[in-house]
Amino acid sequence: MKGVVTALLVAAVVLVQAAVVNRLPLPWGVGPDLVVLAVAAVALRTGPAGAAVTGFCAGLAVDLLPLADHEAGRYALLYCLAGYLVSRYGRVEGRGRARVYGTAAVAALGTAAGFALLGTVLGDPRVSLAAAAFAVPVSALETVVVGPLVLAPMGRILRAVSPDAYVGSYPDLPAPVRSGGGIGGWRG
Amino acid sequence: MRRDGPRPRLVLVLLVAASIALMVLDGRPGTDPVTAAGRAAAGAAFGPVAGAVSAAARPVADGYRALAAAPGAQERIEELEARNRRLSAELDAAEQDGVRSERLADLLHLSGLGGYEVVPAQAVTRMGSGGYAETVTLDVGARDGVAPDMTVVDGHGLVGRVIRASHATSTVLLFTDGASSVGARMEGSREVGAVHGKAHELDGRAPAVLELMQADARIEEGDRVVTMGSHNDAPFVPGVPLGTVTRVRDTPGALSRTAELRPAADLGALDVVGVVVAGPAEDPRDSVLPEKPDGDAARAPREVGR
Repeated sequence: MKGVVTALLVAAVVLVQAAVVNRLPLPWGVGPDLVVLAVAAVALRTGPAGAAVTGFCAGLAVDLLPLADHEAGRYALLYCLAGYLVSRYGRVEGRGRARVYGTAAVAALGTAAGFALLGTVLGDPRVSLAAAAFAVPVSALETVVVGPLVLAPMGRILRAVSPDAYVGSYPDLPAPVRSGGGIGGWRG
Repeated sequence: MRRDGPRPRLVLVLLVAASIALMVLDGRPGTDPVTAAGRAAAGAAFGPVAGAVSAAARPVADGYRALAAAPGAQERIEELEARNRRLSAELDAAEQDGVRSERLADLLHLSGLGGYEVVPAQAVTRMGSGGYAETVTLDVGARDGVAPDMTVVDGHGLVGRVIRASHATSTVLLFTDGASSVGARMEGSREVGAVHGKAHELDGRAPAVLELMQADARIEEGDRVVTMGSHNDAPFVPGVPLGTVTRVRDTPGALSRTAELRPAADLGALDVVGVVVAGPAEDPRDSVLPEKPDGDAARAPREVGR
């Protein structure tokens, strides 16, 4: 149940990103990244492995959908890492709206920076330092601004379909638990 | 409740490896079958969605575009409107100038023929106080040498006389006004009479009526009439075309003969007129009249002149 809902939600967000946001004639040339928000919202309520798979699938979809002009796999890699890291480290230290949004903001900034970095590494001629210095903060800022629009409804829906999730019943652990331990598990 | 799933790190490493493999595959020159197939499938799935979103979002997108362009658009609209106003005003002015120069040429021609010294003027308003009087206001006045009881002509004939002259404007009583009478003389003959304005008569079919003193005077349609001239050229200088006879009234037994007259000047569309500030040295007689048209005598001379 939860898996289906998660897949549907992420798919919907990916479609919205590709069909609506990426087409908006935004004045700065870069738009908010809704997909990283969706991945973060899922990752905050899922184990690292599930979050990584979710991010990979979402990223692959973004890579393959039309208008994508980069090598397939860039966003898959980035969202996969983002999902894993958010799930692994973002969930542990308590909760609260500020933390959720802060985590999403870090994820957004990291994704944007990672995309620029990957472009540089892969020799994308469009990604220059000046362009990245403008695009990365602007994109992250836009993502943070529209964050509540994605995070709040997704968090509510995910909470509704799995009321017994970690968040909320989570103890304030002083340190992240080691992998393979009890906390970071795959929750189906 | 908490159970160990697949090892997260293993999953992560696998996925990262898959991503990098994809990038490497897709980054190579040429098309890679795996990613090409993936892109084709994604494109096929995305097409209908994108189409639907486009259809649904077109109003929103248009509105957004309009909003984004709104500040500039307002300025642009104002700029274009101002430009439009200016251009149409220039166009009007150019057309107006053409008409005016034509009329001014006519006026100069007429005054040259008659030896009149004229002050060119613009008919500013045509006002009838209470709808009775036939008067126009000119944009020349006493500062231009205009004084009451001066003759006003346009390029084709008599207009009227100045009845009031202020510093910068003057008022002209058209000769078709009900209170106006002009001494007249038939072209070619010595028959004299008077032209009375009939512009607002109840039975008014003609704006002016010619009344000849001699009851048995010969008069026909198409005969033309000029001013007889007043004493000291005030209020009317001699020789200005008045109009053309359009209908002779059959009045047996009357002491005078009357005929309806069509004014030579187009009094309905006055534009450039001239105030005769000095009359001719001698009576120009019929020399101001244009060549008499052959055949259709009822046509106005000015229509032939064009």
